[in-house]
Amino acid sequence: MLNTLAALSKKLFSWTQQADGPVLESAEVEKLRLTFKSRYHSFKLLLAANSRILEAMADIEKALQGNEPFSMSFVQTHCTSISVNVFRMINDMENIAPGKYNALRDSFIAIQKRIDGLLGAKKQITDQRLVIPLEAVNSDMTDLVGGKMANLGDVKNRLNMNVPAGFVITAAAHDVFMNADGLQREVDRLFQVAGSDEDRNLDLVSSQIRQLIMSAEVPEPIYLAVVEAYTRMKEENNGREIRMAVRSSAFGEDAENSSFAGQYRSELNVGFSQFFYYYKQVMASKYSVQAITYKLNRGFRDEDIAMCVGCLAMVDAIAGGVIYTRNPLDTRDDAIYINSVWGLPKAVVDGNDLCDLFVVSRDDALTILRREVRPKGYQIVCFEDEGCIRTETADGRGDQPSLTDEQVQMLADHAVRIEQYYETPQDIEWAIDSEGRISILQSRPLQQMDMVLPGPELDLRRFATALVVEGGINASPGVASGTVFKVTKKVDILQFPEGAVLVVEQALPTWAPLVARAAAVISEQGGFAGHLANVAREFGIPALFGVTGAMARVENGDLVTVAADLGQVYLGCIAPLLEWKRPEPKLMIGSPVFESLKEVSRQIIPLHLLDPESRDFLPQNCKTFHDITRFIHEKSVQEMFSFGKDHSFSERSSKQLYYRVPMNWWILNLDDGFQHEIKGKYVKLEDIASIPMLAFWEGFAAIPWDGPPAMDGKGMTSIMFKSTMNPSLVPGIRSKYADRNYFMVSKNYCTLSSRLGYHFSTMEAMVSERSAENYLGFKFKGGAADFERCMGRIRFIREILERYGFRAVVNADNVDARMEGHDMDFMISRLKILGYLTLHTRQLDMIMNNSALVSHYMAKLTKDIDSLLSR
Amino acid sequence: MEKKQRGFKVLLVDDEDIFREATARQLTVRGFIVLTADRGETALTLVKNEAPEVVVLDQEMPGMHGSETFIQIKKINPFIEVIMLTGNTSVDNAIELMQLGTFDYLMKPINIDELLYKIEDAYTRKKLNEEQQRDAGL
Repeated sequence: MLNTLAALSKKLFSWTQQADGPVLESAEVEKLRLTFKSRYHSFKLLLAANSRILEAMADIEKALQGNEPFSMSFVQTHCTSISVNVFRMINDMENIAPGKYNALRDSFIAIQKRIDGLLGAKKQITDQRLVIPLEAVNSDMTDLVGGKMANLGDVKNRLNMNVPAGFVITAAAHDVFMNADGLQREVDRLFQVAGSDEDRNLDLVSSQIRQLIMSAEVPEPIYLAVVEAYTRMKEENNGREIRMAVRSSAFGEDAENSSFAGQYRSELNVGFSQFFYYYKQVMASKYSVQAITYKLNRGFRDEDIAMCVGCLAMVDAIAGGVIYTRNPLDTRDDAIYINSVWGLPKAVVDGNDLCDLFVVSRDDALTILRREVRPKGYQIVCFEDEGCIRTETADGRGDQPSLTDEQVQMLADHAVRIEQYYETPQDIEWAIDSEGRISILQSRPLQQMDMVLPGPELDLRRFATALVVEGGINASPGVASGTVFKVTKKVDILQFPEGAVLVVEQALPTWAPLVARAAAVISEQGGFAGHLANVAREFGIPALFGVTGAMARVENGDLVTVAADLGQVYLGCIAPLLEWKRPEPKLMIGSPVFESLKEVSRQIIPLHLLDPESRDFLPQNCKTFHDITRFIHEKSVQEMFSFGKDHSFSERSSKQLYYRVPMNWWILNLDDGFQHEIKGKYVKLEDIASIPMLAFWEGFAAIPWDGPPAMDGKGMTSIMFKSTMNPSLVPGIRSKYADRNYFMVSKNYCTLSSRLGYHFSTMEAMVSERSAENYLGFKFKGGAADFERCMGRIRFIREILERYGFRAVVNADNVDARMEGHDMDFMISRLKILGYLTLHTRQLDMIMNNSALVSHYMAKLTKDIDSLLSR
Repeated sequence: MEKKQRGFKVLLVDDEDIFREATARQLTVRGFIVLTADRGETALTLVKNEAPEVVVLDQEMPGMHGSETFIQIKKINPFIEVIMLTGNTSVDNAIELMQLGTFDYLMKPINIDELLYKIEDAYTRKKLNEEQQRDAGL
């Protein structure tokens, strides 16, 4: 707009001299008034749409910094909002200049098609089998059976280890299920109704979707395929009924950088009569509160996640647990870590009990390096009929090791072979049945990280009196400080404050949604092999588990510092310890949702049409939505300006401002910007009704300009040199940058193009009672000094603008500042600042190489502004 | 909250009772004369009998779909401005409907002030279009 207005000024000047020329009939005048009114209305709508687009683009740019989680719904809502508003601008432009810019629609369609292609892209499933027996599954089939079952297929079929018999209900079945009766469409709708900020309505959305899934009929083709697979298993079991473990195997689950540990449902010991009920439970668990939160925090797209379901014959385990083939907290430690309990391994992963730990060397003899046998008061066992129960450990076995040395070594051998096969450390779930057979139930990549222990130079003894906890298991390394918040029931989740230290009795997967919001986690129970520990490590949140009596040792609201690596919790904020704090992982970056937004933003945000004077500044050269909005904004201003001239309509010609004397400021009234119709050549300030213009002018005229700053010889040479190189900078020589300033005003709107001395600025403001539509835009460039000093002034102005709440960006040769959404009084105060700066930054580029003067002017300007605002 | 009396009729069409009633209440407080309908067919009768200036129309309704209702409204009175509401963020629908001549498109959950601005803008547009039409007929 900067250049357009300046270029127009010359044309307009020659025209205003003859503005009273042709005399129009009153009917013609009335018609022109109406046409102009209609165009001005479209112009206002266009500006509001433009403002919404710029806001949405700012949101996208912020999201792309990767600091905050956002969902696919955010991406879709913002894209749709931008598309709709760009289309709205095209329609409004059509009203302002009928038939003149038709090529904009073609550019719009081309960009929109590219965006649709990017947003609509979904993995296509080519294999349409609904059920596949486990013996036919391998890791090449991740996109059909999910990561968990694909890995297990390899362990069974390629490593030939003992894995229970079973089958997988595939991704193709997931699509059949979700597309029957428009289920997926309804799920999408519920998410969209919840809004882009879906975590606020999370409980409701989650519950509505799960109910929908639970009340849906299992489509017949899936039903028949499952019955066939089960019948075959039963035949192979000599006709005896088989109880099943029904387990999630969703896309993305058990992948390299995302475990989804414990986020989905698994149901153990299910009889076939109840099978489809639990199948739907697992399907519905894709939309549990914790799963949605996890997906949101990790940037997964809902449409990318097909819920496959693994169905395995139940192992009635006498012992079970989890093997880490390496130390998850120390990449230098290659020992094998076996966590074990009596009964089903569920007790280990659920994190509600203590478990034994056996550490084994990976030498040929698989020497047991360490045995930590812990009291195991409870175990989880299969009910005789169906389901499982947590029960007291019988016969005093709770204090006995849950594995023999021989079993430990056999498990270690399995671990080494599985890791060798995958060539990466593994997290393996296993069970041993009453006949001593080892079954592998799951194998997934193990995420490793290193502890960060303070060096000896940090003497913690001086904080000894503040130490409230010592001991426990380092479940996720790191140091953090926050206030204690104890969570005992689900409803506490809703109250959990951002950045608090989560304190719980049991390290249950249920608390996983809180991990990303917590500074640290402390649990009385649980070890480093549980789901919650996995999630804490994934999110880089320090976690200290197995802290006996933790709930009693700290109180809600206590400020504490948790040093998980040291197994210590201190009362208060121990600043020297916090120096060991890890940088927060930017989990969104690289995630599917993040990549979708990044891709789609390339069709929206880059600006190619930079110079309105260029011959390439054409609708057909708009490659992004930003190009279209920029083009329309420039041209709409131009069209509004030239309306009077094009129609020989003097009422819409510009008037010269008379402020004590005739000024070099011209004003075009768009609608209700003057108090009354101005007949003559001049308009006085008291005739102006434009709220933003008056506010700007108040700031402009409030404090007299002291005149140019003292200039050294270099400054003077610079001006002379620039004048030689660019005659347009010499006052008195006519050029496209005529030495004039133009306002276009209505009561609530004002745009200004000004040139004072050697700098150019533009300002645009919408200020009304509609706070949500209020905005200010300000751009400043130029100067007579050398480039470095000009940029110095630009940065100087940015600093002041940011201090007063503007969002300001320094581009190649200008500063571009914006704010929006504030109420009228606030906007008026900021317009005064812009008015003040437009005058008082004049020639300040000259002193930008003198830091003392820069400080002096910074102090003077901010003092002046503060006094201006307090008037 | 704005209290000025706007004094023109707005028809709000949505099958979600809670949303319709709450929104109607808020618009009434803000000075509009609000008519409501829970389905497209009722909306058409009200358009014929009550001549609202602006219609706020939900896209996803049982029975006559929002898009169809919009087309029928425009047949009855092409000057009525229609603002579509939807919980569906599909851009295809939005653009298609705007091509057909809806005034604007709002996604649920709506901001009541934003809806109010749109209704005022739609009303101004309608009056201007009518004036221009009259002027052209002179």
